[in-house]
Amino acid sequence: MTTRRLTELRGGRIYDPTHGVDGESRSLFIDDSGHIAAAPRTPAEITQTLDVDGCVVMAGGVDIHTHIGGGKVNLARMMLPEEHLASLVGRDRHPWPGSGVATPSTLTAGYRYAEMGYTACFEPAMLPANAREAHMELADTPIVDKGAYALLGNDDFLLRRLAAGAPDSEIADYIAWTLHASQAMAIKVVNPGGINAFKFNQRKLDLDEENTAYGITPRQILLSLARNLNHLGVTHPLHIHGCNLGVPGNVNTTLATIAGLEGLPAHLTHVQFHSYGVEGDRKFSSGALAIAEAVNRSPNISVDVGQIMFGQTVTESGDSMRQHAGSAFASPRKSVLMDIECDAGCGVVPFHYRDRNFVNALQWIIGLELFLSVGDPWRIFLTTDHPNGAPFTSYPHLIRLLMDRSFRRDMLATLMPEAVAASNLASLDREYSLYEIAILTRAGPARSLGLANLGHLGVGARADIAVYREHADRERMFSSARYVFKSGQVVVQDGRVVAAPNGATHVTRAEYDAGITRSLDDYFARYMSVRRRNLMVSDAEIEDLGRSPLCIHSTRRQG
Amino acid sequence: MAYAAAEVTGAPSVGGKAVDFDVALTAAAKLLRRSQRPLFHGLGSDVQGLRALFRLAEHCNAVVDHMHSQALNSSLRVLQSRGWHTTTLGEVQNRADLVVMLGVDLDRGFPRFLERHVAGKHALQQARRAHRRLVHLGPKANTPTCPADLPMDVLPTPIDRLAESIRTLQGLLQGIPLPSVSDALQALAARIAAAEYPVFVWAPGQLPTATADLVIGAACELVAQINRTRRAAGLALGGDDGAQSALAVSAWLTGFGTGVGFSRGALMPRGELGGSTTALAEGGIDLVLHLGSFSQARPPASDKPSIVLAPPGLAPSEAPDVYLPIGIPGIDHPGQLIRTDGVVALPLRALRAPHHPSATEVLQRLQSALERKP
Repeated sequence: MTTRRLTELRGGRIYDPTHGVDGESRSLFIDDSGHIAAAPRTPAEITQTLDVDGCVVMAGGVDIHTHIGGGKVNLARMMLPEEHLASLVGRDRHPWPGSGVATPSTLTAGYRYAEMGYTACFEPAMLPANAREAHMELADTPIVDKGAYALLGNDDFLLRRLAAGAPDSEIADYIAWTLHASQAMAIKVVNPGGINAFKFNQRKLDLDEENTAYGITPRQILLSLARNLNHLGVTHPLHIHGCNLGVPGNVNTTLATIAGLEGLPAHLTHVQFHSYGVEGDRKFSSGALAIAEAVNRSPNISVDVGQIMFGQTVTESGDSMRQHAGSAFASPRKSVLMDIECDAGCGVVPFHYRDRNFVNALQWIIGLELFLSVGDPWRIFLTTDHPNGAPFTSYPHLIRLLMDRSFRRDMLATLMPEAVAASNLASLDREYSLYEIAILTRAGPARSLGLANLGHLGVGARADIAVYREHADRERMFSSARYVFKSGQVVVQDGRVVAAPNGATHVTRAEYDAGITRSLDDYFARYMSVRRRNLMVSDAEIEDLGRSPLCIHSTRRQG
Repeated sequence: MAYAAAEVTGAPSVGGKAVDFDVALTAAAKLLRRSQRPLFHGLGSDVQGLRALFRLAEHCNAVVDHMHSQALNSSLRVLQSRGWHTTTLGEVQNRADLVVMLGVDLDRGFPRFLERHVAGKHALQQARRAHRRLVHLGPKANTPTCPADLPMDVLPTPIDRLAESIRTLQGLLQGIPLPSVSDALQALAARIAAAEYPVFVWAPGQLPTATADLVIGAACELVAQINRTRRAAGLALGGDDGAQSALAVSAWLTGFGTGVGFSRGALMPRGELGGSTTALAEGGIDLVLHLGSFSQARPPASDKPSIVLAPPGLAPSEAPDVYLPIGIPGIDHPGQLIRTDGVVALPLRALRAPHHPSATEVLQRLQSALERKP
């Protein structure tokens, strides 16, 4: 038997919620294939030792929802030279120059994620028509593993087939084909049917309101997609950006959406933007408690928060309907809106969240109320809906807000008193533990996505590891990792990127009947501007042109 | 054009003399090594070629500029000052009931646009197709050849009056009483008001620099105004010579669309200074590297030494200091290009066995040579 060559991380405190490990002091071993290894049989197997005495050791972070690549992100970059001029970063800091905070250049995004100990990022809004470009951007995002969710639910093909009463088997085939064609990890729906309805000048679409062109309601779309994804056995459930984003009173839409899913697994994203009531003089109030209670009693539902932070950012969304409404509040005053390829749309609106603004202050409060009121940390994930609520670089600050009650109260005290008075945040005593933070930022998202060997530190897991120096100021602690390993290689040391390998691209493959490709061939030939096969992104494009390993997660149909 | 370029003969050269490829490559590397501030011009390549070019540019402290950067900059200035509401080819095909060409010379620049995206038989919204009309608002001489079953209105308008006509339409649609407006323009305003999805089309590269910003700005304002209560969209035609790909690659790699330079490991955004002419006029540029894969190579006029990467049939008539033949993406090797609407990236497939290396390969070999000790 050949001798293993192991690297020992010695003296760290390990937080690995997947295995119930809560701050246990022990060594962690990495083998030379880049995986976590069992303890050595003889000391001779240890060829390298890194002393991380007293440091906190977690699996690399997994961001389940971050807009880092694709057409709307690149449009935002082009639209905002002021943001990039103010944040140039050179080789003195990173292996390759770049710029941007809310819309960082791709390499800069990869380096910054790694510096914070994140090793996997998922782009949540990839239009199949834009998939090739989105993957090219992700391929130029170094270090982190990546994947993307394909958008369905506003595409004319699906709406036509639903209107025609197509059987579930056909919808499931179409979903499976879309996953394959766009090399996607999961399926996302944005304002179901609403982006399409906006093309026909509908300005809002409630859960049970018909899209005038097809006579289909958001509820029908949600149920069809959620049911068929479940049927296909795709691990990550339907990723839902619901109706009425940002609209006061949308808490009722969100509650009705949760109830309407009829127990089917689903993920509600940036739920902060969907938790607004209409109480009070200003007709804007927190619906966080009602949403948290609904989530708490619905084990089929997971959420991510989409916390906002005060300052300048830019909102990028497929939701052209709601982004058009939001463009009235653009700051600076410019915005992009697109109708896209019978697929969906997008809107890019720069925005400045202000702590002296009642609505913005309450949005900040609502996000934190959600974090502190949802009981099960395995069903709530830490996001800012980068960059829509705030750039991802604000995660360490957010972690401190969650872990440090007195810091949170100090911050709350700086907000406008009317907003503070309208909330019960001051009375929420909960403080997240390191163990729970490890769930919110790695173990939970990895489990939800079905990434079996990421997000934990069990034997055989990929050695994507973050090591943080213990510090009472959790913001400082999580801003800059002492070490980050990617597949066993040190990529960050003392907060500096020291190596920048390419991460893998994760995709989900589900089986589909060839019949769907024939109907799609016909549909594309008649109506689309490209042929079906030219829309499809090949494995070779991901692997060779993108210089990125392809990690395929296969599924099996249920029942 | 590309097919003339499909010629395969054409040897690498140094000082106009045919040499082996490796000799030319070494000579190019030597020029690059000596240069303090090269200008990387042209950027006519596929996404892979552009990635390699930016990597080399960073290594060489180069200023980077696409051959059509003036057109790109007009659009970017409008995007950066007010934004826009746009659509894509597939949406036009299926959704538009009125297509208004704003000073576009379709026959010259986009001869298949009507056939493929406006005059096709099928549309998801068949009623929209049945009622579809084309309007040509622009110089009479540019009136497109219109397919028989597509009704067309022609409103002859000199290019330098185009922005004014668009503003007039905007006023008419707002119900502002305007003196001495032609019946034709009034009728067009009425058609726009009645349309369910009017699309306004411009071509930044065909507009004179002096008026491009005004025309594009006015068109974008008109569309935004209609969208307050109804629907409309704009569409820019262009992206020739990989311009859309260069814009996109530059934006994701650097954060800036065009007008980027590198200096000692840092980005040097050039913004308004962008173009090659300015870069050369500033002084300091001591070498020009031109990359063109799709049309006749035209390095900017200068007295600086030059390196040209172009397919043999497209090499410049006057020999540069170093000439390196490259293949054509989509003929000699596979590749990817981003389409004019900025959304769809198309795969290109090789059609024949390559006679020359790809731009990517040549640029990577240059980089390796420079990274080795001299």
